[in-house]
Amino acid sequence: MRKVLTGNVAVAYGAMLSDVQVVAAYPITPQTTIIEELATMEAEGLVDMDYIRVESEHSAMAACIGASMGGARAFTATSGQGLFLMHEMLHYATGARTPVVLANVNRAAAAPWSIWSDQTDSVSQRETGWIQLYCEGNQEVLDTTIMAFKIAESLRLPAMIVLDAFFLSHTSEPIDIPDKDAVRDFLPPFDPGDLWLDPNNPRTFGGITMNDAYMEFRWQIQRDMEKAKAVINEVHEEFAKVFGRKYHQVEAYQAEDADVVMAVSGTVASTSRDAIDLLREKGQQVGMVKLKTLRPFPREEIIEALKGKKKVAIIDRNFSPGATGIWAQEIRSALYELPEGDRPLIYGYIAGLGGRDISVKVIESIYQKTLKDDRPDDVDMWIGVNYV
Amino acid sequence: MKYTEKKVSVPLCAVSTTPGLVNKTGSWKFAEPLFIDRVSPCNQQCPAGEDITGYMYLASQERFEEAWKLITEENPFPAIMGRVCFHTCEEQCNRKDHDEAVSIHTVERFIGDYGLSHGLKIDVTEPEKDKKIAVVGAGPGGLSAAFHLRKRGYRVTIFDRDQKPGGLMRYGIPAYRLPKDILDAEINRLSEMGIEFKMGVTIGRDITWDALNTQFDAIFVALGAYEETGLRIEGLNKQGIFEALRFLREINLGKKPKIGKSMAVIGGGNSAIDCARVSRRLGAEVTVVYRRGEEEMPAHPEEIEMAKEEGVEFLFLAAPKEVYGQDGISGIKLEKMALGEVDDSGRRRPVPTGETFDIDCDGMILAIGEGTRVDDLPPSISHKKGVVETDQMGQTTESTLFAGGDIIDIRHTVTHAIGSGKRAAIAIDRSLEGLKGEGKNLDQFKWGDKGNISVGRMKGITLFLRRNPSLEVIDYKDMNPFYFDHRPRIKIDMIPAKKRLSGFQELITSPSEQEAVSEARRCFICGSCTECGNCYIFCPDSAIKSDPGGYGYIPDMDYCKGCGICVTECPRGAMKMKFME
Repeated sequence: MRKVLTGNVAVAYGAMLSDVQVVAAYPITPQTTIIEELATMEAEGLVDMDYIRVESEHSAMAACIGASMGGARAFTATSGQGLFLMHEMLHYATGARTPVVLANVNRAAAAPWSIWSDQTDSVSQRETGWIQLYCEGNQEVLDTTIMAFKIAESLRLPAMIVLDAFFLSHTSEPIDIPDKDAVRDFLPPFDPGDLWLDPNNPRTFGGITMNDAYMEFRWQIQRDMEKAKAVINEVHEEFAKVFGRKYHQVEAYQAEDADVVMAVSGTVASTSRDAIDLLREKGQQVGMVKLKTLRPFPREEIIEALKGKKKVAIIDRNFSPGATGIWAQEIRSALYELPEGDRPLIYGYIAGLGGRDISVKVIESIYQKTLKDDRPDDVDMWIGVNYV
Repeated sequence: MKYTEKKVSVPLCAVSTTPGLVNKTGSWKFAEPLFIDRVSPCNQQCPAGEDITGYMYLASQERFEEAWKLITEENPFPAIMGRVCFHTCEEQCNRKDHDEAVSIHTVERFIGDYGLSHGLKIDVTEPEKDKKIAVVGAGPGGLSAAFHLRKRGYRVTIFDRDQKPGGLMRYGIPAYRLPKDILDAEINRLSEMGIEFKMGVTIGRDITWDALNTQFDAIFVALGAYEETGLRIEGLNKQGIFEALRFLREINLGKKPKIGKSMAVIGGGNSAIDCARVSRRLGAEVTVVYRRGEEEMPAHPEEIEMAKEEGVEFLFLAAPKEVYGQDGISGIKLEKMALGEVDDSGRRRPVPTGETFDIDCDGMILAIGEGTRVDDLPPSISHKKGVVETDQMGQTTESTLFAGGDIIDIRHTVTHAIGSGKRAAIAIDRSLEGLKGEGKNLDQFKWGDKGNISVGRMKGITLFLRRNPSLEVIDYKDMNPFYFDHRPRIKIDMIPAKKRLSGFQELITSPSEQEAVSEARRCFICGSCTECGNCYIFCPDSAIKSDPGGYGYIPDMDYCKGCGICVTECPRGAMKMKFME
């Protein structure tokens, strides 16, 4: 079935088709229409779930963790300040090994108030142990929501779907909606095994743990995050087999013979495809890699994709004050292990903060600058700032 | 070596190796939660002793047949009740402290109509008994007693001097409040149960009371109050003066009494309002003259309101002194009254001022009050000022003689009469079964200390698992209103006042199923466990367990710390804390 859906409604469809059992959520722009849509779906009987109204995002995540510990498939959605407020519970979800799925609609941080897109909210959660899956379009949003449950539950790690505010959340596209039975075959019910809150066998979960065991628990999180790289690929593969759409942690586009490779994520990827097509028509040797996963970071795949390239232009719609954009940090760090001859020059760009448009023109100018400059001017370069 | 190839000796997440069950936290407590089924104030208030919360619960789940059966455990006439009962239950409804009282009568009316439209019947499941009971008077009290006795297997014969059963429900209440087809259909169910009706028979004239006493094992007397209280003023012999009950009787027999164009109705009770509204329908201008103020009127405020809508005028603080006119009435001399001290009835007494004034009218209806006609009572019955003396259950000083309805010391309403008939039926049953001395035990089956006896409670009907039925009445302050939304009471659809005057068609339109269910869902179901699960969800120690008996929850005292969270979170006050000794 095809429908014209916004990114937010696509998320709701994804959760509904995944037979989500508990949704605990608190409204925040630009996420709100996700949970509104889910509430409507619940009211219309499209999904049999408990919808818990809570007084904050912190409680929303706490309720989702509780539900997940009780063996239920739990979901929530948030944005910007809401995700920041959840931060403590995001760490807890990982430590408790609860495969909660969260949709984060990227929203810039206050102050000053902004409701528009920028990745600072999600990249700030890099160290919480959540799998992060960035999406380029609304079809990917819906498909990734379904896959996120499968990935999270097989690893017992929480997963975050990330989509750009308004560019996806409130923009409609024709979407192919998977058949519910097919999704059920693809994604069986969550089986918590022996690790769940069984009222008939009450046990203490997450109780105080001495220094003789704490590291072992943390090590397992790292081990499973490393496993996740393979699991995500397997799930992408299986999804492609059933539904005919293939996703990648690192997707190369026109990159094979490119002198300059753009490294992008989210909706910037789709604009970049257009920019690259236009530049290719003018005979420019340009390509890109689209990154879907920030955590686990696809270190091996990115090395493979960029090895031997001359220049990599990374566009970060986020930044870490006092350092650089997050994707630039990650890519730099990964490529460092390449021998000097195979190691590309890294051009880090900061663009599009607070929802400022990253148009085809902006991408072209980034390409031209990267092509022209023998070395980057600075550790990162801010695009489109109105200096006086 | 890669991460994926290594192992550690701890589980995936930190979890206690010993089950929490070894730590019997229950040893810490000094108080414990108790599941208690309290009485809702509506149930206590109901003169017929209906399980209102019970049938609201069933109606809210669209279990209408069960709801109907639950009502008819206590009251044979749900469709009549939903129309004519003055629903004092709603005045006691805990929801009135939240937003607005539940419109209980609307739901009852729907259930009653459901019973009629689906042809629901009363099953006599008790074995047939050979004992015979005579019921004298086929009004609501007599019909109720007959109904409850028949359900217990007795052979019941009803005698009434009228041609048709129903008493004041037929000959007093106008059709716009109670259509005759509804009345006939509900009474017809009683014939179908095997109750024998002997109509047009006056006991004391056609058959002697003594003869009746020898033929039957017990007699229930419910003759009603139909003797109009007289006025001691000049000029009452003039034409155009009616007595309320006679007037209403004529109307209900389908006759059209010749009334004036400008009518005065004397009195402030429901009969006065009925007479006034009927007179409006016959085309007259009507003024109700009442010696006290509007606040003191015994008539139901809703009836007064509807009368006003229909153009009935009211003249308060005025008492008739003299009737003017030659052959026919032409006017009344009235004395202005003032309000004095509060009297026995709890209302302020009217005090004459000596000041008089006149009004013109060409007709008058006296609706001052009705009493028992003592000459019609069995000679052996003991009474004071026309009120038959009985014990609480309706037994008179004669062991085989029971009484109910308007001739005993209860409020003169259909519902009170029905309640008295039920009590007497229980008393007759116990008396004939030789359980007379154990009457006190019946208290445990009451809806609270002040409530009527519930047949459902006697039978042990466990609609909710009323494991610990108590006489405690639940108050709004003992509930947790957080769990109830705010939603307005159903608006009752009524024919516009102008259209009403053209005839006697029923004023209030029946609610739709959706409306009835929606209103039933407003009921808090105070005091009863509905398995909402709050206690189970909130217990921090998982000490609330599903009851293995299949309904509701039980506390596991090994682990209950006595924190009281379950009791606080119980929305409807079906739990309480008990301090331990």
